[in-house]
Amino acid sequence: MAQTIIEFKNVVKSYEETQVLKGVDLTIEAGKFYTLLGPSGSGKTTILRLIAGFSSATSGDIIFDGQRINDVPANKRRVNTVFQNYALFPNMNVFENVAFGMTLKGVSKGKIKEKVTSMLGMVQLAGYEDRSIDELSGGQQQRVAIARALANDPEILLLDEPLSALDYKLRKDMQYELRELQQRLGITFIFVTHDQEEALAMSDWIFVMNEGKILQNGTPVDIYDEPINHFVANFIGESNIIEGVMREDYLVSFAGKEFENVDAGMRPNERVEVVLRPEDLDLTTPENGKLVVTIDAQSFRGDYYEISAHDDDNNEWRIQATNPSIINTRQGLTFDPEDIHIMRFDESEDDFDARLENYED
Amino acid sequence: MVEKQSRWANLYLIIIFIVLYLPIFYLIFYSFNAGEYMQNFSGFSLKHYGELFADNRMLQIVLNTFVVALLSSLLATIIGTFGALGIYGVKNPLMKNVLLSLNNILLVSPDVIIGASFLIFFTLLGLGLGFGSVLMSHIAFSIPIVVLMVLPKLNEMSTTLVDAAQDLGANSWQVLTRVILPYLAPGIYAGFFMAFTYSLDDFAVTFFVTGNGFSTLAVEIYSRARQGVSLEINALSALMFIISLLLVTGYFFINQYNLKRKKQYKKGRNG
Repeated sequence: MAQTIIEFKNVVKSYEETQVLKGVDLTIEAGKFYTLLGPSGSGKTTILRLIAGFSSATSGDIIFDGQRINDVPANKRRVNTVFQNYALFPNMNVFENVAFGMTLKGVSKGKIKEKVTSMLGMVQLAGYEDRSIDELSGGQQQRVAIARALANDPEILLLDEPLSALDYKLRKDMQYELRELQQRLGITFIFVTHDQEEALAMSDWIFVMNEGKILQNGTPVDIYDEPINHFVANFIGESNIIEGVMREDYLVSFAGKEFENVDAGMRPNERVEVVLRPEDLDLTTPENGKLVVTIDAQSFRGDYYEISAHDDDNNEWRIQATNPSIINTRQGLTFDPEDIHIMRFDESEDDFDARLENYED
Repeated sequence: MVEKQSRWANLYLIIIFIVLYLPIFYLIFYSFNAGEYMQNFSGFSLKHYGELFADNRMLQIVLNTFVVALLSSLLATIIGTFGALGIYGVKNPLMKNVLLSLNNILLVSPDVIIGASFLIFFTLLGLGLGFGSVLMSHIAFSIPIVVLMVLPKLNEMSTTLVDAAQDLGANSWQVLTRVILPYLAPGIYAGFFMAFTYSLDDFAVTFFVTGNGFSTLAVEIYSRARQGVSLEINALSALMFIISLLLVTGYFFINQYNLKRKKQYKKGRNG
């Protein structure tokens, strides 16, 4: 297990009456790519600001490298930030921006020049030293901001929704570049985003947040395949969520039928929510289907058709299919036992992990 | 229809400018009069300019005026900039509004009242009237102007700029000198020049607080005008008008040059 670099112990942050962080515990290990994922107002940026030192926790401990840093000011922390709006200094050119941190530390001119050149080379902006900031495109400003932060050799790089202002293509490219950069440098990255696709594509580890709490943390695959509750299932990817009853281990009933599945460890006849991902569902003839649905609408999405349908119990189904279907026809719906994921109501993350541990070999 | 409208608009503009500039040109025109009055142009002559440059008292006053304007606007700019930073830093919105209103009241209240109150204030303190009192009152009425020019620039500044500077290791002093002040520079310059011009042509306040031995242009011209304006004043006005004209054109060309350079840079990048 890698070395722990940041730890939050029951951290609470309140602004006057409102609590934006409600007792957050988290552990971050050195050298990995972390993502704080959540809708706006979930407290993810607050966590970033607490780590950077721009605001201070109302209560709880923030521990950096084994030392409590609650009272260490931002300029004394070995952490650097890439801001959402880049926050480049408009009165300085590219060179001066990247050199800013080193100039303050009194690094020699020759060393600064060397470092700036190598940093700009790293973000593919070699030769841009003399440009002024307002001559750069959004993507270029983004790269300067990354170079400026990394020029200080931080232990942790914080990234506050840095890609949200870029267009789709550029965002995709930057995702790869950031991931590649992190792996090459071995610095801990903490990335804040509300874009689940971005989180899944880049991270080693994701914290899903909502309303000031961490709901679930895990690898992208774990979180996608085993969402802990309704919110996570809905927020990460698209889901069909249907109410059901867990008859016994490995047998669940929903939409008026019983299905074999791979979940266990619940009380007999416990009410649960059943998650089925649209891409795991297949359309077939009504005789071969586990369920029979009526097609309501479909839309072409390029690499697949998104089809919406309803079953005889009036549950809505969303299906991703490679072939188009015909509206108002009845079709069979099939899926495998492994595609069914069961979520209990109000299960804590610890209980959830323990239960999974128990029945998964 | 549209063309007709724009023609009327142009005509309107031309008339307005004529009305605004005619008196000034009339004044300048008579500064070249060989005669003694602003009637009956009796021939071209530069003799009033000669009189002006021979009038040591007048030249001393011109110098006084510029010294007061320069010093007062400089000091007011420093105080006003920090004042704006102070108001910006106030967290309580009520308190902030009170401070802003107090600042604005000084701007809109009549000069006569400000002048009279300064007179009372200096007399009460037992301070002599003269250079000091004029300088202090000019600083005082210039501060709100500077605050008003700097504050919008501050409000426009993204707070993450300060966060970013701290993040990169800057302490409060470095944040101020390396990030905030350079960012505010255009507002600070504008405030300085506004304060400078206000001080240059202030009459009412100066009139109250100036003593026997000290005078500024506005006050001097006023007192001479009571005995009938001599054409020496016209000559002085003409010179000052030309100086302002040169300053404005200079500013225009510098701006033009900067714009052009920036555009060329962009073209070079895209092409």
